[in-house]
Amino acid sequence: MEHTAEDIVLDVRGQICPACLLITLSELNSNKERLKGEKARLVVKTDHRDATRTIPGAAFAMGYSVSVVQKERHYEITLEHEK
Amino acid sequence: MYRSDFCMAGVFRDVFLFRDYLRMKALFLLVALLAFFLYLMRVFRVISTYPPSFFGAPSVANLVGGVLFGVGMVLGGGCMLGTLYRLGTGNTASAITFCGILLGGFASAVIYPSIHSFASSTVLFKDKTALEHIIGNAAAPVLALSLLPIALAWRWIKTGRWSQAAYARGYLPLWKASFMMAFVIAASVALSGRPLAVSTGYAKLSGFLGVLFLPAVTGKLAFFRVQSPRLLYGSIMNGGAGPVIDSVFLTQLPLMAGVVGGSFLSSLRLGEFKIRRLPPARQAFSAFFGGMLMAAGALMAAGCNLWHIIGGLPVFALQSILFVFGAAGGAFLGAVFLRKIVIK
Repeated sequence: MEHTAEDIVLDVRGQICPACLLITLSELNSNKERLKGEKARLVVKTDHRDATRTIPGAAFAMGYSVSVVQKERHYEITLEHEK
Repeated sequence: MYRSDFCMAGVFRDVFLFRDYLRMKALFLLVALLAFFLYLMRVFRVISTYPPSFFGAPSVANLVGGVLFGVGMVLGGGCMLGTLYRLGTGNTASAITFCGILLGGFASAVIYPSIHSFASSTVLFKDKTALEHIIGNAAAPVLALSLLPIALAWRWIKTGRWSQAAYARGYLPLWKASFMMAFVIAASVALSGRPLAVSTGYAKLSGFLGVLFLPAVTGKLAFFRVQSPRLLYGSIMNGGAGPVIDSVFLTQLPLMAGVVGGSFLSSLRLGEFKIRRLPPARQAFSAFFGGMLMAAGALMAAGCNLWHIIGGLPVFALQSILFVFGAAGGAFLGAVFLRKIVIK
């Protein structure tokens, strides 16, 4: 199925630990309506390995589905409302 | 450490910020395994001095130093060892923390006489250095604090309660890292006769830089002239923070270089090495200031988290027990500062 929701891109590369998770949580909360209404999905760009464990863990608990892809020298974590 | 992101600053910080106990459980397992292995080494006389002579009498300075260190490692985004393994992956924020530790080491050397006087005047038990000197039994704390967590950890592993989805390439589960580190560290103690340490190595680097940029000031600082005898590989060698070749130069600096080199190679192999962009100004300042606090805390507490948590806690050194309480309190404060001031 083709993806139609808008991508909200959050680039937290270079930030100190645990800024990636804190900023992502804040972004999830401020865009809650759009994400839950499937109008948008959150794409997090991070170069912190640990964020690929902590962000999906927190997002799962909040009812989001997660996919993680390794790009060139960073990871891209996509969070969207679980269908 | 790099593959599992076994971050000791994260152990405490994650509990206070996110109620995430995964790293804490891994650290418990590591300390429990080491307590068990070191006790066995004692029974089979692999270790000659036990409780180890290099842990002195406990003082309030161990607790206060632990608090400073705890705040510093959370603000710095990693402890003294964590800073090194992240530095090896091209992490610019860790490079800033590293510089903070070096400058903090030099600044602490300037106020060393006051720190030394505070530590000496607040000694709690002059002739007691380990828990067994108070409770009169060495086996009881080992049994209570090592076998129970090991049995619990084994149950968690078997029932899958220790698994968490991780997507990073080459990720090593934390419990596996605990086992690997316990074997390596125990073997290192058996061979060298000493726990691992890096804080004096950092201070020595500060001393070398001091000689390079401020030779007159550095030459006058008493801290850089202190040399103490250290038991190493069965013989006594002098060592200290001074900019000279001694036992610290021959042991701690290679360890530091090894951690940086190991994570560099590992990150290169996983396709993750990159000189990262600078963090936002507020975070950069936090990293630098956190590094300075860690250096001051380690000097006051007579060691960093590596020395006390991995080295002293498994033998129930009183200094280390005080340090851990202080570091936990400091990490709580650091987490509050991080949340309210640094990351906005």
